[in-house]
Amino acid sequence: MRLEVNDLSFSFGDKKVLRDISFEVADGEFIGLMGPNGSGKTTLLRCVMNYLEAGADSIRVDGKSIHSMSPVELARTFAVVPQSSATDFTFTAYDIVMMGRIPHIESRLSGASRSDDAAVKYAMERTDTWQFAARPFFELSGGERQRVIVARAIAQRPKALLLDEPTVYLDINGQFEVMDLIKRINREESISVIAVLHDVNLAARYCDRIALLSHGRLEAIGAPKEVLTPENIQSVYGVDVVVRKNPFTNAVYVMPHTTTPLAHKHGTRVHLLCGGGTGGPIMKALLDNGFSISTGVLNILDSDFENAEDLHITSVAEAPFAPISEGNHAENLRLIDGSSAVVVSPFPVGPGNIKNLEAARSALRSGKKVYIVPPEPGKSIDFVDGQASKIITGLITSGAIRVNDIDDLLVKLSNGGST
Amino acid sequence: MPGQEGDSSDTDFQRARRRRLLIVVLLVVLLAVSVLVALLIGTLGPIGPGDPEKISLGDALRAIFKLPGDRPHYYDVVFWEVRIPRVLLAGLVGAGLACAGAAMQAVFRNPMADPYIVGVSSGASLGAVAAGLTGLASIAVLGSVITPALAFATALITVFVVYFLGSVKGKVYVDTLLLSGVAVAAFLGALVSFLIYFQSQEYHRIIFWLLGSLALASWPAVAVLVVAVSIGTGAVFLFSRDLNALLLGEETAHNLGSNPEMVKTLMLVVAAIMTSAAVAFTGVIGFVGLIVPHMVRLIVGADHRMLVPSATLTGAIFLIWADSIARTVIAPTELPVGIITALCGGPFFLYLLRRRRLGGAT
Repeated sequence: MRLEVNDLSFSFGDKKVLRDISFEVADGEFIGLMGPNGSGKTTLLRCVMNYLEAGADSIRVDGKSIHSMSPVELARTFAVVPQSSATDFTFTAYDIVMMGRIPHIESRLSGASRSDDAAVKYAMERTDTWQFAARPFFELSGGERQRVIVARAIAQRPKALLLDEPTVYLDINGQFEVMDLIKRINREESISVIAVLHDVNLAARYCDRIALLSHGRLEAIGAPKEVLTPENIQSVYGVDVVVRKNPFTNAVYVMPHTTTPLAHKHGTRVHLLCGGGTGGPIMKALLDNGFSISTGVLNILDSDFENAEDLHITSVAEAPFAPISEGNHAENLRLIDGSSAVVVSPFPVGPGNIKNLEAARSALRSGKKVYIVPPEPGKSIDFVDGQASKIITGLITSGAIRVNDIDDLLVKLSNGGST
Repeated sequence: MPGQEGDSSDTDFQRARRRRLLIVVLLVVLLAVSVLVALLIGTLGPIGPGDPEKISLGDALRAIFKLPGDRPHYYDVVFWEVRIPRVLLAGLVGAGLACAGAAMQAVFRNPMADPYIVGVSSGASLGAVAAGLTGLASIAVLGSVITPALAFATALITVFVVYFLGSVKGKVYVDTLLLSGVAVAAFLGALVSFLIYFQSQEYHRIIFWLLGSLALASWPAVAVLVVAVSIGTGAVFLFSRDLNALLLGEETAHNLGSNPEMVKTLMLVVAAIMTSAAVAFTGVIGFVGLIVPHMVRLIVGADHRMLVPSATLTGAIFLIWADSIARTVIAPTELPVGIITALCGGPFFLYLLRRRRLGGAT
């Protein structure tokens, strides 16, 4: 099925909800509709299913305007999975799925046929709901209920599934359960999917393309990694985010920054010695509290290097997997020289980066305050046969301050180190 | 199903459907038996107090089936002018109220809805009181026609007022409709109370109305109800799948090819016609329209393909028996049937409700 939306506009009374929206959905495509609350996602979905009647023939299925399609024809084209389906009435799961057959049952007088039963059974086996076919629908868990609703949609034998935030009321397990199921159906039966999704990461993981809406306009449409950029998200949602790649799925994922207003930027410069991701929380905490930061030496591809990049922190970069060179070490010392204190994160120390601990030692010798954040209990960070522990113990005996945790670090930094 | 391993479970649901069909057949048989037995029950009849006179079973059956025989002439009158129309009317009114109740519960997506929810009862009561006060009811011969006609008219007018209050540009908002119904009913109820307060001679008539009774059964009443109830139940049954879909929300109903606005309006109209016709002749018989669909739903499930015919038949059976009790329990005086419906239906319903809750917990 090919869906074309051409210059679609829609208003509730005087309020324009959708403006000049145009896009296409290819056969078997999984497309996500995203955007802030009130951006028109659900309205767009309801226009597509003709629940809300948009003017003109702006929506076409395989070239045919949806206005010229009969209700039954529409029902055989689109199946809808709403946010949640609750009913006080004692339908069994089977009854619910059988409702998907309504558009296929010949007349108001005829009963369900064997082929209807077969279609229901197929849909319920497909969604792994057959085992509770005879149970009352309202007794099922949220995830199970949503799977039954998906089964009803499959029993409808549609060409496209329209989902309106199908996982919004589900816990994390239910979310993946339902989305995996929908993706499988999308792939294996080549049913197109148009889904309103709230969760950016869920969308990035499952959608072939994402359409980003803002104030009723289509801001961007394309592959998740093209659409879910920090710039787009900042402009549409007004939130600062970091976009990364999920190491297991290769899907992009989006991490929001806290949106708490920044403390007064006093600009006290702190140099952070870190690595292996141990520096990220410290960077964020220091920045939020008005410090400015430099860091080094970090290998490119180290997650702390990426953290520093994302937070626009000056860092001394070393080639991937290479030991710290003399030149970079010297650069690191130069940055330490210009800062008012040094913080050592509990980074894993190996032969390649032990120079960073030496840098801390020389900082202490030149009279800088050095703060040491300890590793989590029971976690070893020494990969150089006790050499690292020896240096750290040495640092502490010669006056470096061992803090309890990041909060403690912030307190001690602002007190100037007095305990 | 124990001992049936090897049967693939897909036919279980087909078998369950056949079993449920059997329930309908069973209910039809039960209805036929109920009608016959109810005809025999009475102060004059083979079953009953035998006061003033006990009619033998043979004579009663011969009178009912108009067979020739040696019996007093008034036996035929008792059966054909009084009891048969009364039992038929009870069945029709029970069927209509139960079916309307099932439809309203689906339209309002609320198991507490009943056929009177859109103001039928208060509208009809006002019409009946007005007929009494204006003296229209006391006109010979015509009076017995005018009262139900006026009650029917005011009931329908009330429903349409509530409908227009609860809808905007043809779109029905069920929550608004519900509240409009409550408000209009309260307003009309106050008017009725006001009128009775100053016209105490109407008091009895109104109590009779508010509790409901089948004592005024007549062939014209039966004729009117036959038309209203067969159109109404037929329409509700034909749209039973739409009612199923409606219970999952209007968006889903629309997506399944149904037209929720049309269905809601149609159901309101046919329920209003059935209920108004019933109330016009028998007054406000409570409980049947609320409880019968519930009871039946607990047994056959919520699928309206099954629920609508079962509830309709059960409503008929229920009211026939309730009326049989009402007219004999304190013979020769009659109890208003509404008292019986609540007295019998309430505990039975509570029993079913508890049993299901307890059953669900294990």
